[in-house]
Amino acid sequence: AGLAAAQEYTFKLHQPLSAQAPAQTQMLEPWARQVEENSGGRVKIEIFPAMTLGGRPPELINQVRDGVVDLIWTVNGYTPGLFPRSEVFELPNVFEGDLSAANLAMHDMLDDLREDYRGTEVMFLHVHAGNGIQIAGREIRSPADLSGVSLRTPSRTGAWVIEALGATPVAMPVPELPQALQRGTVAGALIPWEIIPALQIQEQTDYQIEGENNYRFGTTVFQVSMNQARWDGLPEDIQQAFRDASGPEWWAQVGEIWRGTDDFGIGVATGAGNQHIVLSAEETQAFRDALEPVVERWVAEVSGQGIDAAGLVEKARTLIAEHSAGN
Amino acid sequence: MTDPTTLGFLGLLVLLILIALRMPIGYAMILVGGVGITLLNGPALMLNQLKTLAYGQFSVYDLSVIPMFVLMGALATKAGFSQQLFRFTNAWLGWMRGGTAMAGIAACAGFGAVSGSSLATASTMGKVALPELRRYRYSGALATGSLAAGGVLGILIPPSVVLIIYAIIVEANIVTMFMAAFIPGILAVIFFLLTIAIYVLIVPEAGPAGGSKDRAEFLSATLGVIPVLVIFGLVLGGIYGGLYNPTPAAAVGVFLVWLFGTAQRRLSFGAIRESLMETASTTGMIFLILLGAELMKIYMSRIGLPQAAASWIGTSGLEPMTVLILLLLALILLGCLMDSLSMILLVIPFFWPVLVELNGGLYQGAEGSGFGMSTNELKIWFGILALIVVELGLITPPVGMNVFVISALSKDTPMMETFKGVMPFFAAEIIRVVLILVFPAIVLWLPRYLAG
Amino acid sequence: MASSHTPRRTGFAGVAETVITLWALFGGVVLIALVVVNIYAVLSGFAGRRFSGDFELTEMFAAVAAFCFLPYTQLSDANVTADIFTSRASPRWVALFKLVAALVALLFALLLLWRMYYGLNDQRDYRYTTTILQVPIWWAFVPILVSLALLALAAAINFVEYGRSMMRGGQA
Ligand code: NA
Ligand code: NA
Repeated sequence: AGLAAAQEYTFKLHQPLSAQAPAQTQMLEPWARQVEENSGGRVKIEIFPAMTLGGRPPELINQVRDGVVDLIWTVNGYTPGLFPRSEVFELPNVFEGDLSAANLAMHDMLDDLREDYRGTEVMFLHVHAGNGIQIAGREIRSPADLSGVSLRTPSRTGAWVIEALGATPVAMPVPELPQALQRGTVAGALIPWEIIPALQIQEQTDYQIEGENNYRFGTTVFQVSMNQARWDGLPEDIQQAFRDASGPEWWAQVGEIWRGTDDFGIGVATGAGNQHIVLSAEETQAFRDALEPVVERWVAEVSGQGIDAAGLVEKARTLIAEHSAGN
Repeated sequence: MTDPTTLGFLGLLVLLILIALRMPIGYAMILVGGVGITLLNGPALMLNQLKTLAYGQFSVYDLSVIPMFVLMGALATKAGFSQQLFRFTNAWLGWMRGGTAMAGIAACAGFGAVSGSSLATASTMGKVALPELRRYRYSGALATGSLAAGGVLGILIPPSVVLIIYAIIVEANIVTMFMAAFIPGILAVIFFLLTIAIYVLIVPEAGPAGGSKDRAEFLSATLGVIPVLVIFGLVLGGIYGGLYNPTPAAAVGVFLVWLFGTAQRRLSFGAIRESLMETASTTGMIFLILLGAELMKIYMSRIGLPQAAASWIGTSGLEPMTVLILLLLALILLGCLMDSLSMILLVIPFFWPVLVELNGGLYQGAEGSGFGMSTNELKIWFGILALIVVELGLITPPVGMNVFVISALSKDTPMMETFKGVMPFFAAEIIRVVLILVFPAIVLWLPRYLAG
Repeated sequence: MASSHTPRRTGFAGVAETVITLWALFGGVVLIALVVVNIYAVLSGFAGRRFSGDFELTEMFAAVAAFCFLPYTQLSDANVTADIFTSRASPRWVALFKLVAALVALLFALLLLWRMYYGLNDQRDYRYTTTILQVPIWWAFVPILVSLALLALAAAINFVEYGRSMMRGGQA
């Protein structure tokens, strides 16, 4: 059967962002087309953006587990605490700034993380380029500059980062952020540059701050996964079509895609006259030191669930270092 | 498999039949959506989705302002805000020909600034103003028509439940939408006042001049409204001025109205209890519709109707402006049958992506766009236009909720009289829609200005 | 919006009506708690040490309050209906339409109760929590399940009442 063959396997891929978001146009669509091509046209993946199949973003993981949809792309942080093992890659000083290396390390550690994703078959995991500090009015050079400042947190580990810096974490839906910044409900936010164009964050902030060599203050893990029963019911060659489109090269390439959208975002901010601050080696070290307790806090918290958290930190750091060196 | 358009219209047809047979709109949507999804994809999928769907729909941050604004409106009614407002507007306007009806409109506008609902505004102000209008021998058509129309200001003047829901669906900022609604809302008040002025020019006996108030009453009515205005100022001023976002603002509003009512000894424990019960039934009604609309949306997405409609319109070669006007006309027609909230929930998820497509994409700037404005501004402009036209449904036959409410309060006026009385205001609204279509700046100027 | 005044019921239906009304008032108390949390958040912001958990508590409280209101909305017949097309129908037919609507409400309430019970188990087994305060989300499901049981009860009462009314040819 050639490409003209009837599509025998159709999949509904549900994702929370709009159809025009780079996550769909640059990542999900190319991946889906690759799977379809690998299958010789027997697979069709329909992407449903912006929660068009119903529910709110935190429900995506239930939807894929329960077979309401076949595939999802979601942010692990929508459901805090549900993916405790994978959280190791969100930690500052574990993830430093090399997102392709982090993605590849996750690929290597998939067996260690598997329990987080019971009920689903992971297609691929990835991180974004890392949380930077985006703030109005004050230039941040040291953790002390953040004392008592309120920042929007991206996740529960993000909240721990903010607390470790002496600031106050505020959780709110992303679309609230521009107004919250404008009226000072929060002074700033801990988010990647990638989000700047969609929310026009450059208009409400003056400074975008990160450490040397892309050092960021933790990141966020995302997943594309399939309902387990659906996966198990697929013939070997169709499974292979998915696997071939989701190999380590793809995980690394997803890192490049998100690096690209992040670079584009900071370009928008500096183009609008914002100051992009890259901390010096010493300044970065001060943040590194201040954030090490976050790793300890996470180890203590997650060990309580009978998980070898210290072992995960160790392994993640080693693998990220190896992959970074390999680049 | 049957094509999406047929399945979609079949679902819509069954929905309208159920609504016509007195099925509550929320349950009708739940039934059609739920059964439709089950027939398409099997019961297991529907049953699994129901595990979390309702909690997900109800636990949305921006929705939390709805019960709070409803409670604030209920407390404000009990605390005598509506009397204070009407006494004030009547002291200033009542002496003119048609002046008492104008006072009713102006008081509706004032009450609209605390109430998020048009029905609450119509019924509250109806109770206060109808006896006065009857006292001055206003014609049944003008008395009830002006109040039914005035009730619409409850939703045209922010805060507004429909606008909040619109903002959530299209991911617009609620505060921006509130700002955008402000000048069009003022314009609506002015148009309604002019409509009454012209009406009594043509039919002088319909609205006799009220007695002018003596100095003492004038002063006392003016002083009496000050606390009411201060509270509005703190709530809406706080939102516009950037002190807090709508959720805390609504909380502050509830607290201040309670404080004022208690200080005035008007809010007994029983009055608070009644306000809470009113809030309960209204909120329950709104949230049930939200849940039903989500099930309808899932059904429509699964049959692929929005995708089909967007691609059909995209390839039809129609001008963006033509499509927009067709969509607005569709809303006016649908408004003859459905309530505004259900309409917004049912059709905006389909209409909005079409407009985005026509404008050139979600991140389209003003340059080279289909509507001559960025998609972000299109979102604001279309929201206000949609808000106005869905609210027209409240005063058009056969189902015109505001007309029903006012008719229930005014037993001696036949409902046909009220519908007749409303027609001049309907015409004023159509003029306003055309003006906003031609001059988008009416909507966009204030948000632009306040954003700096 | 026919918020018709229901006469106070007697016997079992009377007890049920009292319980449902009190449960809606409990929802009102949750709503007042929501008001208090938000005012506290505003004040803490002015005081310079912002309270962090207001967003997540707001979402949770608003959802719980809304569910608590559903049984009362049902029992007080406050759901929006379009009565105009059937305004000339005989009372018996109108009672039949209302009977069907009450049956739909009853079945839906029971279905949702059953499914959200499994939803609660999911939320607990997978340890869903809020982001900052890490409040388990299944806690919110407990009053929600009570609300759904009462919604079923309210719909059942309506069903019996409209059924009787239909037998009597539409008289109340
Ligand atoms: Na209003
Ligand atoms: Na109508």
